[in-house]
Amino acid sequence: MKRDDKMDRRGFLRKTTMAAVIGISGASMARATGVPRERTREEETMACAIIGYGRQGREIAATVARIPEVNLVAICDTYDVMRKRAHRDAPDARTVGNYRDVLDDEDVKAVIVATPTHLHREIVVEALASGKHVYCEAPMAGNIDDARAMARAARDTPDLNFHVGQQFRADPQYLSVAKFIRGGALGKATLFRGQWHTKQSWRRASPNQARERALNWRLDPDTTTGLVGEAGLHQIDTALWFAGALPTSVAGSGQIMLWNDGRTVPDTIQATLAFPGGLRMIYDAALTTSFDGSYDLFSGENSTIMIRDSKAWMFKEVDAPMLGWEVYARKDRFYREQGIALVANATKLDAQNQDPTADDPNAKPPLFHALQEFADNYFYGPFEPSAGYRVGFEAAVVAFKAHEAILNNATVDINSALFALN
Amino acid sequence: METVRLARNAMATRFEVLIQGTDAVRLRAAGEEALDEIDHIDEHLSFFNPQSLISHINAMAATRPVKVDAGTFRLLVLARDLSARTRGAFDPTVAPLMKCWGLTSGAGNLPDSETIAETRELTGMHRVHLDAERRTVSFERAGMMLDLGSIGKGHAIDEAVRILRAGGVSRALIHGGTSTAYAVGRPIGDEAWFVAIAGRRGADNSDHVEIVSLRDEALSVSAVWGKSFEFGGHRYGHVLDPRLGRPVQGAVLAAVVHPSATVSDALSTALLVAGREILDEEAASGRSLVVLEGADGTREVLTLGRTTHISDEARQRDSFYRMGQTTQPYEA
Repeated sequence: MKRDDKMDRRGFLRKTTMAAVIGISGASMARATGVPRERTREEETMACAIIGYGRQGREIAATVARIPEVNLVAICDTYDVMRKRAHRDAPDARTVGNYRDVLDDEDVKAVIVATPTHLHREIVVEALASGKHVYCEAPMAGNIDDARAMARAARDTPDLNFHVGQQFRADPQYLSVAKFIRGGALGKATLFRGQWHTKQSWRRASPNQARERALNWRLDPDTTTGLVGEAGLHQIDTALWFAGALPTSVAGSGQIMLWNDGRTVPDTIQATLAFPGGLRMIYDAALTTSFDGSYDLFSGENSTIMIRDSKAWMFKEVDAPMLGWEVYARKDRFYREQGIALVANATKLDAQNQDPTADDPNAKPPLFHALQEFADNYFYGPFEPSAGYRVGFEAAVVAFKAHEAILNNATVDINSALFALN
Repeated sequence: METVRLARNAMATRFEVLIQGTDAVRLRAAGEEALDEIDHIDEHLSFFNPQSLISHINAMAATRPVKVDAGTFRLLVLARDLSARTRGAFDPTVAPLMKCWGLTSGAGNLPDSETIAETRELTGMHRVHLDAERRTVSFERAGMMLDLGSIGKGHAIDEAVRILRAGGVSRALIHGGTSTAYAVGRPIGDEAWFVAIAGRRGADNSDHVEIVSLRDEALSVSAVWGKSFEFGGHRYGHVLDPRLGRPVQGAVLAAVVHPSATVSDALSTALLVAGREILDEEAASGRSLVVLEGADGTREVLTLGRTTHISDEARQRDSFYRMGQTTQPYEA
């Protein structure tokens, strides 16, 4: 019934208004350039619910509040303190303790799942069976079996949109760098490197002991995907995307270097992914130092591209061929290196009489772009999401194998059969 | 009993929280979540981050109403009310004037009267339209800007305190850049958190204008510390009066104690701008203090509001937290 409603809405939008057609191209352009598109039907909204109101759920609520087409009608969390917080943050949305109340509500068209990772499977599979469009935070699941079951459920409900929160895939800056790399800017790709550093215990506190155990699922060996899953997956996914390949093995190691509070999950990890043809991605994450934060490097024979904080720079080798445009680009110093700023939408900014070398004044966080794409797919889709079930599943498998390698201080093969859905 | 101290860089300053209780691991966990909340608010309210909600509002609100979340809308309504209450001495739309005087970059610049008059047309909370039903923000004119910098730290601290309490914390002191602090409960073995307001930049422990006791309330200190620039033989201070569009020096230091850090943050800024002019009416809502400085450098300290917490014993203390500068020699 709900799917029919949805198809009616889509059919209506597709067939009856030229404005909607303009909207489709506008939506694509918005994802590609970050420029706000014309809103053709402001009165049309996607009624959605957030399931799971921890930190990421709150971030999502604050972000969807910026998207006029999204109407947040319900927030679900099992903990009453979080429901009170949800009511304060989004007073127009009703708050519920059981996610099935949301799935049973025919007015809710889409759900955004931001619960602890190991709880995703049950909710997502039921949500799709209930006819809801689903945006699921990354990693999409806590283990390979769960991820595969979810990917199958998404594949088998093609009328419903399933997006995984690998949000960099929807970010104009990352899309722009992907284009550069595909255009041969690196020359032969020789080494990828990713880093995620913060100084935090990763522990959570609550006056309620049972709640405290549940809150600390990231430190529970039975439920966590470790630093490489919960933090590293996004950067590993970017490497898979830019390499255009899946790794065949991963070597890992992990240590508890600072937070000796009874945990068994490492607070410092290293992993090396091996891609066909010899390319390696070296990844390290630590809860023990904040030095130099988080960034990604993509090196090749001609240049290295660095992405950090949704900004990108190219560092050219001295013997690299001239590209032409770099003469006019903004240059930033990094100690002894000179980075050529890669500004997404430079042509567009120039056309709008804005400085094409300055940072985009209309820039949005990656989460905004990912959620805007989810809304666009509801109104103007179906189109293939930038991070759908296949992309989500592949990144999850790689992250889980990396976590396994880290826990065992070993090298683990990543057999291509692992990526099969059947 | 244990004491845990955590710090984080956010909002272009250093936030620090000191928590006391029985389990150091859990105290740290609560403190980290509180600091995460400050990060979250910084990401949304930063004037300088092009991806923030405030940057989005500044880029779009003159062309169409911008939808915002309930928390931000509440903060904007409060900012509008505080601006009205201080008769414009606190004004979160002052950024175009700051830019015009070169105060954003810190270099200083002397605009002509016509430019000042034109720029003033781009300021004032009465030109920011807040639609409560649609929860949108729009600007009356292109070129207007919102900068919640003078209220954001207080707001972040209020929200962080909410997280600390939810995490079971009953004794804590949290501050942002030593300019706004909030005391949760009281420290172990003492009646209140005692905080000294430094008399000058880099002052030692003995040079403070007041020691304030805090218990479930906030203290904000705004100070100029003699910052100025010279142009055409005339010296201009770095404090801009939004009502005149020109730098003034209403006071060299202003401090406000209030149950809300958001309110104390805004009021201390307003008192610094307007000095004696609005002190009397603002003091009615809490403890306030203003330090005025004459042309010859002589100082006058005006303290109003209930002062019963500032006891002789407090004045003799040699163990306290210091505000109004970046050192923090607190010894628990």
